[in-house]
Amino acid sequence: MRNITKRFPGVVALDRVNLEVYPGTIHALLGENGAGKSTLVKILYGIYTPDEGVIILNGRRVIISSPIDAINYGIVMVSQSPQLIDRLTIAENIILGLKKYGYYAPVKLVEREISKLAEEFGVKIDPSTDTWKLSYTQKQMVEFIRAMLLGVKILLIDEALTYLPIEERRRFYKFIKGFAERGGTVLLITHKIPEAMEAADKITVLRRGRVVKTVEKTEVTIDDIRRMMFGERSKEITYERLPPGAPDGELLLVENLWVEGDFGGYAVQGVSLKVRRGEVFAIAGVAGNGQKELLQAIMGLRPIRKGKVFFEGEDITHRSTYYLRLKGVGYIPDLPAKYGVSIENTIIENIAVIPVYARGFIDWDKIRSLALKLIREYDIKTPSPEAPVKYLSGGNIMKVLVSRELNTATKLLVAYNPTRALDEATAIRVRRIIKNKVINDNIGALIASEDLDEIFQIADTIAVMNSGRIVGVFPAEKAKREEIEHLMVM
Amino acid sequence: MEFPVSMVIVRRVKPLPYWIVPLLALLIGVAVAIIILYGMSGGKTTPADVLYAIRDGFLQPHLLAMSFAFLSIVGVGLVVSFKGALFNIGGEGQIYFGAMLAVWAAMFAPFSASLINGGPLGVAALKTLMIVLSALAGAFWAFIASLPRAYLQLDEVPVTLMMNYIAYYIVDILVRGPWHERKYGYLRTETLPEKLWLKTISGTTFSIEVYILLIIVFVAAYFFLKYTTPGLYLRVLGNNPNLLRSSGINIKLIIMIALTISGLIIGLVGAGYIAGRTHNLSYPVEEKTANYGYTGILVAWLSMLELIAVPIAAYIIAALYNAGINMQIAGAGGAATVFVFIGSILVTYTALITISEYKIKIIVKRRGG
Ligand SMILES: Nc1ncnc2c1ncn2[C@@H]1O[C@H](COP(=O)(O)OP(=O)(O)OP(=O)(O)O)[C@@H](O)[C@H]1O
Ligand SMILES: [Mg+2]
Repeated sequence: MRNITKRFPGVVALDRVNLEVYPGTIHALLGENGAGKSTLVKILYGIYTPDEGVIILNGRRVIISSPIDAINYGIVMVSQSPQLIDRLTIAENIILGLKKYGYYAPVKLVEREISKLAEEFGVKIDPSTDTWKLSYTQKQMVEFIRAMLLGVKILLIDEALTYLPIEERRRFYKFIKGFAERGGTVLLITHKIPEAMEAADKITVLRRGRVVKTVEKTEVTIDDIRRMMFGERSKEITYERLPPGAPDGELLLVENLWVEGDFGGYAVQGVSLKVRRGEVFAIAGVAGNGQKELLQAIMGLRPIRKGKVFFEGEDITHRSTYYLRLKGVGYIPDLPAKYGVSIENTIIENIAVIPVYARGFIDWDKIRSLALKLIREYDIKTPSPEAPVKYLSGGNIMKVLVSRELNTATKLLVAYNPTRALDEATAIRVRRIIKNKVINDNIGALIASEDLDEIFQIADTIAVMNSGRIVGVFPAEKAKREEIEHLMVM
Repeated sequence: MEFPVSMVIVRRVKPLPYWIVPLLALLIGVAVAIIILYGMSGGKTTPADVLYAIRDGFLQPHLLAMSFAFLSIVGVGLVVSFKGALFNIGGEGQIYFGAMLAVWAAMFAPFSASLINGGPLGVAALKTLMIVLSALAGAFWAFIASLPRAYLQLDEVPVTLMMNYIAYYIVDILVRGPWHERKYGYLRTETLPEKLWLKTISGTTFSIEVYILLIIVFVAAYFFLKYTTPGLYLRVLGNNPNLLRSSGINIKLIIMIALTISGLIIGLVGAGYIAGRTHNLSYPVEEKTANYGYTGILVAWLSMLELIAVPIAAYIIAALYNAGINMQIAGAGGAATVFVFIGSILVTYTALITISEYKIKIIVKRRGG
């Protein structure tokens, strides 16, 4: 890619960007939130057309004006959210994109190829399974398999691994390494810098729409990369434990809670826990062990079958979400783009929708000044508070949600992976803000996270959740990482 | 047994810019109408005739004034519900339920006679009452339709559609039965007392009362959508109901409020139509209706659900409607002419919106291989 420039109203997303990628390499594309990473790969995939600049493929200039063009050139993107159609089977979903068989796709043949590729991942999968039955991880795997069957030569991965549990991520990394060894090219976007360092051969760092530098992995250290990404801000990056809270007095009490999952059966099986004021109570666990359902049930978003929940001593077991919101409870849900924001609406509308900020009539001036304050404090990159959220970068969308909910949480914060999709510096900043609120405003925080670095940095108390149960609770200063890891997967 | 072919509809990654669709729908729709009219008249109605008729249709604001206002009001009412992805196609029922109550208030209520004879104040009170009751009746009719949607997640489209027929049916029963005029024996109600008619400037269909109503509706709808929380929730509902749930908003309540307000606005046209146009209800209403409830859907779509664009869309549709009437009067094509424009634009619009947002893919499965 030569001299690529892309402007959006109010921003230059890419400014004369040059990028060269070679067969047989994994090329990481790194940069802070809003740096222009997604825009660059979307241009390669034909979703955006560049204002200036050219794309050269194998020595020839090409024009990619739609994903269909891109796929014809062997360029395929996998993004955070799987694009599969639920009511079709895996094989049908994959056949949908395959041109080489024309209208008569030999289903059996395709099914065999799918199984073969799944084995490369080290998993068994029945290609005639309906897609809606698949877990998020499996869906993402199907996306990768589809890319392979489409004859991908350049695979674009835009944070597609962000939401996967760590062991699964390792599987995917192994898979793409195999692909690169066979001569494929991978362009990898992630905010997990250590993982990028581990997987990639080459690294390009973007900052404010410009290429800072392209380097061989062997030439640099993690700290060099962080400095290129964040400049001065890289000094803020630390994984040391933040100052401890001063837990005092019970705020949230959960007693023997039983909650059903989406597909029947109990996802939460008799969980009891206590969150005190001035405490970050963190739940460690592999995704899908009931954390999501537990938090939803506490928030009044999922029916409670058995057990009780108390907030400030009051029984809130069957209280509505509205009631909790008005009491000052902030909530950061799983799958933030789906449950936490409405991307077609503007930033201010996404704030005003929380009942504490407006009831009956909306004072837009008040909302607007709150929005401006949050934009400043969290460094949200947006042309204005009236911009539709869909025009923001992935990380900045998350910042809108996180900043709103932290501001809402005047008594309790309930959060699931509060820093995912955020760049390292911002993630650490958000953890600091949470911890400061817990210490200074004496609120409580119940945070479920799959990221142990996060848990160890922020928690005062660490609980481990496995198969719907709490299998261990430790004061953070005494918790041992190996023991927690063991409890998570046992 | 498994079906060997499956068809799936997938959303486009890159939708077209959104103002292109209404514009194209209008142009292509008119072109299609020209072809149809040419065919229908056996070549007698030339494209030039149609284009002249359309031009004249647009240049007769004095004739359009009332239907433009009614279409605008219906359009605003529909936009309120469509913004929340609630597809109220029950406008007809809401209008007729409103018209029914307006007629009741004007002629059959215990207070009708005394108010009419009660001097200017009494007449004004009765007119106001007709309008208020008409709106409330529309609101009630839409509210009923909102219940299955809110509590049983039943699609509101068939429900509101069915409610149209129920409303027609109820009005028909009244008109054939207790309300049926005795003097000439027609299946219709007696004519509305002239004092209750909408006053129009002579030679035009412009009525100041209707325009005051239109302005009130417009401002109120704007204020509701922009400055009240239910209005905001409604706009979010159409985009992502999950956010409302996480925020603690009662979605059922919002659905009911949205449809009810939509019906309230549309119901106004019931009283207006009786007082301004027909001055009675006559059997069978489903054949006598001006179809504002359905035509309004086209207005709402062409406005791209932007309140500001509703009057523009309403004017275009009213003008085309008027062009149809002119041609009909001139003897080109008969009664169907009027609906040719509206129909072809609606079909084109639907086709275009589908093409612009969705792609259809077909998989033919061949076992073995
Ligand atoms: N469709 C759009 N309309 C307007 N502005 C946009 C659009 N898409 C991206 N931008 C802007 O372009 C800039 C780069 O966004 P991009 O999504 O490429 O960032 P990113 O590097 O992927 O960030 P993140 O790590 O947060 O995902 C941002 O300032 C963003 O607001
Ligand atoms: Mg991005």
